[in-house]
Amino acid sequence: MRRLAQGDESALATLYDRYAGLVYSVARRVLGDAGAAEEVMQDLFYQLWWKARDYDAARGGLGAWLLVSARNRAIDRLRQRKRAEALAPEQVAPLAFDLESSVAQAELISRVKSALGGLSESQRQALELAYFEGMTHSEISQRTGEPLGTVKTRLRAALQALRQVLNP
Amino acid sequence: MNEHPQPEEIFDEYALGVLEGEERHAFESHIEACPACLRKVEEARARMALLALATPQIQLPPGAKERLLRRVASPSPAPLQQPAPFWGWTTAALAAATGVLALALLFIAARNRELLRNLRELEARQTQLLESERRLGEESARAHAVLDILTSPQTVRVYLASTPSRLLPEGKAFYHPQKGLVFYATNLPRLPAHRTYQLWLVPPQGKPVSAGVFNTDPQGNGEVLLPSLPLGLPVKAFAVTVEPAGGEPQPTGPKVLAGVTS
Repeated sequence: MRRLAQGDESALATLYDRYAGLVYSVARRVLGDAGAAEEVMQDLFYQLWWKARDYDAARGGLGAWLLVSARNRAIDRLRQRKRAEALAPEQVAPLAFDLESSVAQAELISRVKSALGGLSESQRQALELAYFEGMTHSEISQRTGEPLGTVKTRLRAALQALRQVLNP
Repeated sequence: MNEHPQPEEIFDEYALGVLEGEERHAFESHIEACPACLRKVEEARARMALLALATPQIQLPPGAKERLLRRVASPSPAPLQQPAPFWGWTTAALAAATGVLALALLFIAARNRELLRNLRELEARQTQLLESERRLGEESARAHAVLDILTSPQTVRVYLASTPSRLLPEGKAFYHPQKGLVFYATNLPRLPAHRTYQLWLVPPQGKPVSAGVFNTDPQGNGEVLLPSLPLGLPVKAFAVTVEPAGGEPQPTGPKVLAGVTS
């Protein structure tokens, strides 16, 4: 990040190589459109480049911040919400896992997938509607046609199970 | 402070964005006043971010990296040329500009009404013409200074919210270290005559600095415009406390609003 703040383009290229694939994939999943997903990804890296001086790297891991921002921006775009903030919309704690190398990424991806594999189909569906479509409890209930209480209980059980697996 | 949110999964639910209505409201009110819970939210955001990894990894479009590097190489913030117009960035900038403009327009509308009132006074009392003119000049210079702060890119915007569980009173601070401070508050309870609200600028180091006292109108609105403050003072947070009439050199009373610079 320090190199980036000083305007070193090779630093941006390094960060791009490391994280752009993850950022693009999540934006693509949310938006379902290659052009829109690339815009979200480019937007994020472009702002990172111009606002690197304002970004307090010490406060949060860059990988976690990029993932959170990619998902939030794609959801905002999907739901046509406006988010007028600058670079650090939300403070994110550093990831508890290494995300810097492609080997570490692959390991973590398989860990997350197996964690989700341990959930029931309906739990996973509720979680995906929340995460990839940005739905609230009542919106999930409307979409699935299930009572609000059921949706809340189901999602909470899914989150509880994930905590067990995803805490290092 | 009200009790910490329970159970632990509620932090994940908030980070995920599924909470809504009163539940979300109560949660946000709590974390704004509770650094320990805010940290849990930041951890939950990182934990929820891992869900992004559950989606299939897709190859980046060819040429995307070159497009990015070409874009950053241009001397000023420029739109993405390929493959499509870069609506994301311009929309965000437009939205931000529109927000500032809306605020400025609101302010101008309010000032307009005031100026109109002043004009009618002028017609009615021609003998006081000179005196009124002087006042208008001052008002306009003041309005200009306020607008300058509201629209300057260097201005820090801090939104203050109530510390107790219901987020009714709200404050907005627009602070520019060289140009000054504009502060508005709404929905504040009426204070007894011997009490006043006092606004504090909290620097990153050292004691809070008073940014002036203010009282509210019957609707609970109050403002502090261009208080005298040391030039170039950095800010970490703003807070509003209830103090004896006339204010205090350091906060003594209960804190009713607080906001940290983002």
